[in-house]
Amino acid sequence: MSAHASDKFVYHEPGLQHQFDDMKQQEESVSIGMWMFLVQEIMFFGGLFTAYLVFRSRYPLAFAEASNHLDAFWGGLNTLVLIVSSLTMALTVYYAQRGNRNMQVIMILLTMFFGTVFLGVKVIEYTDKYNSGLVPVTGWNKKIPETAGTEHAASKDPTFALPLIETRAEAASAADDHKKHPNPKGEFQWNYGTHVVDYGLSKEKETGKPYLTASERIGYFSNGVFDPDKYRDKIRMFYYIYFVMTGLHALHMIVGLGLMSWLLWTAWRGYYSAEYYAPVEMSGLYWHFVDIVWIFLFPLLYLLGRHFLAGH
Amino acid sequence: MQDAGLTNEEIEEKPKLNYLTNGSTLKSWLLTKDHKRIALMYLVSVSAFFFVGGLYAATIRLELLTPATDLLESGTYNKAFTQHGILMIFFFLIPSIPAILGNFLLPIMIGAKDLALPRINLLSLYFYWIGGALTIFALLQGGVDTGWTFYTPYSTTFSNTFVMAVGLGIFINGFSSILTGLNFIVTIHTMRAPGMTWFRLPLFVWANYATSLVMILGTPVVAITVLLLAIERFARVGIFDPAIGGDPILFQHLFWFYSHPAVYIMILPGMGVISELISNFSRKKIFGYEFIAFSSIAIAVFGFLVWGHHMFVSGQSIYAGLVFSFLTMVVAVPSAIKMFNWTATLYKGSIDFSTPMLYAIGFLGLFLIGGLTGLFLGSIGLTVHLTDTYFVVAHFHYVMVGGQVIAYLGGIHYWWPKMTGRMYSEFWGKISAMLVFIGFNLTFFPQFILGYQGMPRRYASYPEELQVLNIFSTAGASVLGVGLLMPVVYLAHSLIYGKKAGDNPWLLPGLEWRTASPPPTENFEKMPVVTWEAYEFGEENGLDVEEARRRDLATVR
Amino acid sequence: MAEHHEEHQHEHMNIPKYVGIFVILVAGTILTYVTAQWDLDGTLFAGANTLLALLIAFTKMTFVMLFFMHVYWSPKLIWLSAVASFFWLAIMFAYTMQDYLTRGSGVFTT
Ligand code: HEM
Ligand SMILES: [Cu+2]
Repeated sequence: MSAHASDKFVYHEPGLQHQFDDMKQQEESVSIGMWMFLVQEIMFFGGLFTAYLVFRSRYPLAFAEASNHLDAFWGGLNTLVLIVSSLTMALTVYYAQRGNRNMQVIMILLTMFFGTVFLGVKVIEYTDKYNSGLVPVTGWNKKIPETAGTEHAASKDPTFALPLIETRAEAASAADDHKKHPNPKGEFQWNYGTHVVDYGLSKEKETGKPYLTASERIGYFSNGVFDPDKYRDKIRMFYYIYFVMTGLHALHMIVGLGLMSWLLWTAWRGYYSAEYYAPVEMSGLYWHFVDIVWIFLFPLLYLLGRHFLAGH
Repeated sequence: MQDAGLTNEEIEEKPKLNYLTNGSTLKSWLLTKDHKRIALMYLVSVSAFFFVGGLYAATIRLELLTPATDLLESGTYNKAFTQHGILMIFFFLIPSIPAILGNFLLPIMIGAKDLALPRINLLSLYFYWIGGALTIFALLQGGVDTGWTFYTPYSTTFSNTFVMAVGLGIFINGFSSILTGLNFIVTIHTMRAPGMTWFRLPLFVWANYATSLVMILGTPVVAITVLLLAIERFARVGIFDPAIGGDPILFQHLFWFYSHPAVYIMILPGMGVISELISNFSRKKIFGYEFIAFSSIAIAVFGFLVWGHHMFVSGQSIYAGLVFSFLTMVVAVPSAIKMFNWTATLYKGSIDFSTPMLYAIGFLGLFLIGGLTGLFLGSIGLTVHLTDTYFVVAHFHYVMVGGQVIAYLGGIHYWWPKMTGRMYSEFWGKISAMLVFIGFNLTFFPQFILGYQGMPRRYASYPEELQVLNIFSTAGASVLGVGLLMPVVYLAHSLIYGKKAGDNPWLLPGLEWRTASPPPTENFEKMPVVTWEAYEFGEENGLDVEEARRRDLATVR
Repeated sequence: MAEHHEEHQHEHMNIPKYVGIFVILVAGTILTYVTAQWDLDGTLFAGANTLLALLIAFTKMTFVMLFFMHVYWSPKLIWLSAVASFFWLAIMFAYTMQDYLTRGSGVFTT
């Protein structure tokens, strides 16, 4: 208890609520409560991770293929941005513990800044998906009218109409004009080839051992013939999971920013001192938790098929 | 400690401010942070949902009076049983004991002024109201017909009813239950009075602790599942849709990951009440305290390992079926431990057959039947014959109504004098307890036979040869209905005309009986220090029964 | 009654330590990005890429939890709840997958 800005609050135990005997009991309660909340958050996201696990293990190749069309640069950048914001958040708590109001406010502002950058990058990414026809919800993609200067038949996608094992060159050339394929109602599109499956099938030929999973054999083929529509559905499922997971994560970020705004206000007003800073600490726990979720989302969503791109 | 009988006099003389009289504006209720007031508001709201759910039940039983589809069309019937299930499970049974009795008693039982997080407690009530209002709104719009289990792809793709609105209602209501659980765990860890060690906690507190674990670990999973369902319905694409390679069985996995543990949310608190009743009304220290306490925790943990027993015939692998079947047998062990300990407690006890005890004894018999038939259903071979028949319906009503509802009624009667300061009519209490017991058995026992004979659940019509048993069942339901309505009348009556209850009308040692009835806002005049073990009867505890009875006669006429 | 942890966390962390953790996290991110380009699935065993990525993610998470979230100096109950939540996640994963991985084949052919 020294000459800090918040000295005036010290003598009546700031923030001690009536049901507690002392500050220690209150702090302990609040901290256990926050952790219990985080436990339920973990289980909440856990349901999504279970869904991811099930479908990733069923359709690994389609998932890898779809993941390759996420931009790992933006995803990686966002990971770094969140890590920086976690550092500034940790420092907010650090300065709060020392009753340093000014540094606390600066750190909160920085945290909010990086949080906003994260959301901004997400907007860029979502826009790209919108433009490329990769939003799984029909009608939520950029619409390209039937007549938009393409000689392809509207219903059949030539990329897929090719005999299955196409060369990479062929696939690449087919992918070149993918933007021209019409989707008049804003349907989900997939015009980016089947490289990963091709790779799997060629591997099977090479080694004589099965490479595709049993569900993939059912999931991508009709009567033994590759079925582009069925394949597209699996890709669409990946994007569905991607959007739900990152969307809920972004929602948590937005809540976090709201929390930060409140923290900023209270810190600015000098509510916190070396003796009473539990709200700062608790908000910090939440912020770090949201960061941790992203630490897992990044490799699981963005990186799972990278080596198919880099390799052969 | 010595005021067990003394305060009887004080009550007559100078009425002190208690939690009911401390503020009478609407605001003092709606913005209260007092756990006791929140509990009372829960009591009123939960009872309202119980009543509406009961109306649906009555409609269902009336339809099943005759083999033909006459009273309701099939579509309406589907809605009736769906809405019955949703209201009863999510809006009555899950909050019943924890949010009402737990909320009211847990802080008092551990000697605290309030729950650790009173604002969170109020928030949980608001969530309950919002979720409930949304659900009722959806029901008024036209309701749902998917069954309370919301199985996909029917619920995502085919049903033309208000699945999304109800789903959202359940989603929001889920957070009410999560917050209650969170609050209880924090409170039990940090708010115990000096001397109130873990093994001096009443078993009701242990039971609520275990329940809270399940609420925190399970409920978020059903929240995300219902959310996924709503998104899928809205977006018309998703992972549960078999048409695009999704998997409806994944929905069942996620749903039952919560909903099997949730059946323990629906029984553990009841078991806690029964532990209190059995020990206190036998005036005997409970037999095997530690076993009962830890079996609650064991149920909470093992309850998470058996969900697949709801999916034996739905397409999960046979291997998984075997594992889940085995684990189902295992999870019955902790319940059995409790049964044995309760029975052992009764042995040579000085049993007092007051209304709460009648309920407790009813529980023992009914839960026994419910639990054992659960084992039938958990045997992977037998279940193929029994699943989706009225046998299942009878099973879960034996555990949910015969278990939790009976325990809830027992608890309400037992703590009524504490909550309101008034005694209800013991005569009518006993009558209604017996009616409930008889009516319940008459309603649901025939359903075991019906199910065994092959009557499927969830149909509005059935073959003629099954009518006799169905008539029994409907007749029983009307007895049960009367039995359940009676307490509303005589409990309400007691509020005004009831005999004033002393602080300790049952002459019991628990902490809740060592403060005024009704308790003051911060529960105790002087914060207690606990120096006795749980369920310690004896003269040194100020509880010489004969002596106290004499005092009682002298003071309260 | 419930045990208190007497000292505050003041003494344990300082700015260089926080920055050190930060550097580890950045390094982990770069590492996971780089290793994802290698075809470990092809050269080692199927799933090796994912396994490595998850190992790195777990390590990163452990650092965040222990030091940024101060779990390292927290009461046992906090440790317990952190560990228990992952245990419960594991239950959900394992018992769901035990079904999917044994569908249609394995010991009991359908
Ligand atoms: C001794 C422990 C128990 C065992 C072994 C057990 C076993 C089972 C089994 C195997 C089923 C599936 C029946 C089928 O659909 O074929 C089932 C259904 C059910 N059980 Fe239990 N049970 C037990 C206790 C409880 C308790 C305590 C409750 C609730 C308080 C409960 C509520 C239910 C419900 C609601 C269903 C039906 C779910 C539906 O709508 O399909 N059970 N039980
Ligand atoms: Cu079950």
